[in-house]
Amino acid sequence: MAVGVRQRWERATMLAPGLLALAGVTLFPGIYLLYMSVMGWTAFSPVVRFAGVDNFRTLLRSASFWEAAGTTLLFVTLSTGLSLLLGLALALALNEDLRGRGAMRTLLTLPLIVPPVVAGFGWKFLLSSDVGVIGAFLLPLAGIRVAPMGDPQLAMASVVLADIWSKTSFMFLITLAGLQAIPPFLYEAARIDGAGFWAQLRLITLPLLKGVLIIAVILRVLDAINTFDVIFVMTQGGPGTATATFSILGWKIGFTYFDLGQAAALAVLMMVGAVFATNVLIRRTRLAG
Amino acid sequence: MPGAPSRRRWALALVYGFLLTYLGFVLFPLVWLLLSSFKTRADALALPPQIIFTPTFEAYEKLFTAGILMPFGNSMFVGFTNIATALVLGVPAAYALARMQGGAKQHLSFWVLSTRMAPAFGVIVPIYALMRTLGLLDTRFSVTLAHLSFNLPFAIWLLMRYFEDLPVELEEAALVDGASRWGALRHAVLPVSAPMLVAVAILVFVASWNEFILAFILTSAEARTVPVLVASLAGTMAFDWPLMSAVSAGAMVPAFLLVFVVQRHITRGLTLGAIQ
Repeated sequence: MAVGVRQRWERATMLAPGLLALAGVTLFPGIYLLYMSVMGWTAFSPVVRFAGVDNFRTLLRSASFWEAAGTTLLFVTLSTGLSLLLGLALALALNEDLRGRGAMRTLLTLPLIVPPVVAGFGWKFLLSSDVGVIGAFLLPLAGIRVAPMGDPQLAMASVVLADIWSKTSFMFLITLAGLQAIPPFLYEAARIDGAGFWAQLRLITLPLLKGVLIIAVILRVLDAINTFDVIFVMTQGGPGTATATFSILGWKIGFTYFDLGQAAALAVLMMVGAVFATNVLIRRTRLAG
Repeated sequence: MPGAPSRRRWALALVYGFLLTYLGFVLFPLVWLLLSSFKTRADALALPPQIIFTPTFEAYEKLFTAGILMPFGNSMFVGFTNIATALVLGVPAAYALARMQGGAKQHLSFWVLSTRMAPAFGVIVPIYALMRTLGLLDTRFSVTLAHLSFNLPFAIWLLMRYFEDLPVELEEAALVDGASRWGALRHAVLPVSAPMLVAVAILVFVASWNEFILAFILTSAEARTVPVLVASLAGTMAFDWPLMSAVSAGAMVPAFLLVFVVQRHITRGLTLGAIQ
């Protein structure tokens, strides 16, 4: 079959450049990362030696690793939980036939295209206890005198606030798309049966939205685990290590102590953690449903 | 039901209250940054804050005179190179994948998800080591390549999903007429796909334009991108808030322009990318 051969050949010419490049920019770094994680590899010493599991062992025995684990868990939980709730509430509200709906939807998507670095800087500026309109004017006006970036708990709250500002739009958009896919006649039927808002939410909206919400949460959790820019700009992980998540710790190990082997090991552990978390999320929700 | 209408009115007021509060939360930092960028240094630091002030273009003039425009050029270069590469390599691959059956697509979905699982510094560690060895640190090339590590899989995946939904009849006519797959792609598929190509191009550009950590570690001076500039200004504590605000405002302009030109496609592209 000459046609079959020709078509297969054509398909190969279409696939090859893209997939080879894809392998080059994703597969290769991945494999190289695994390799680096088992090597003693600092950017300054030219000698690269096989280190086995040393990098992992040092990491797992260090206090900073476990501290960062707690901080990451806190940050991911707060940021994901709050942006999920807010995104859901916004989507529910803007799925109704309200006046100004279109304009509000558009404005709510703005943070999606603001560089997270700018979001972090903007909030740092606003919250600053020296010059910020909130931190140095509105809060003192209300009798509250605090330095948000100087206090461990407030620093975490500030970072979460900026992250929520930056990422809730995404949750909102996905949830809204999910809501729009629910056939309206279901609600009409429920209304005829006398179901109120909360009953409709519990019996129709949430069960039908579950699939979309799971995906949204998974993407959001992965994103939160890897968040670097907002935290870096606002606190650089400080004060002390109050906001030093795994990403900040990895940057410190890799690019201020230049221990690339150990940074690679941390990245590998984070990948494993992310795969594990994703599987748990999928399995849990599948069992529940 | 006598109580119902007033209860409904209350509920509506509550909903509007919530929406307007949240909108205020979203808009306040953006408006404040914009206002600050038109202030003098003294006005920007004044407390209580000045809502009414004489606008000045000082900060924007400084943008030009202080020689910090280069990052904007770098970001543009990296963004457009990413668009070109992702589309030229991605479109044919995505089209071929869309017309295939079976396992390859599953693998690709997993591939895309795994790029989202990878911590950015996990990607940057090997790329940094490689670029160091090749002597390519602080070049636009290294940043472009690093950004392709998330843009290329994302573009291929979005395009594949889109091509799958296109009616096959469109290209079958061309194929029956003896056109090759390439010919069918060029003459039957691409002409109707323009809106999606634009959407993907914009998403790629925005992702690249906003990316921080990869560019931050790969560059030091010559090849710095806009987010790296913002972070370094925010870190210096030089307290030139109007200048920092002007840079931040400038950092938002290209993406805003692009998105507002084609708002609808973006939303579709984003939700498509997230849900499927």
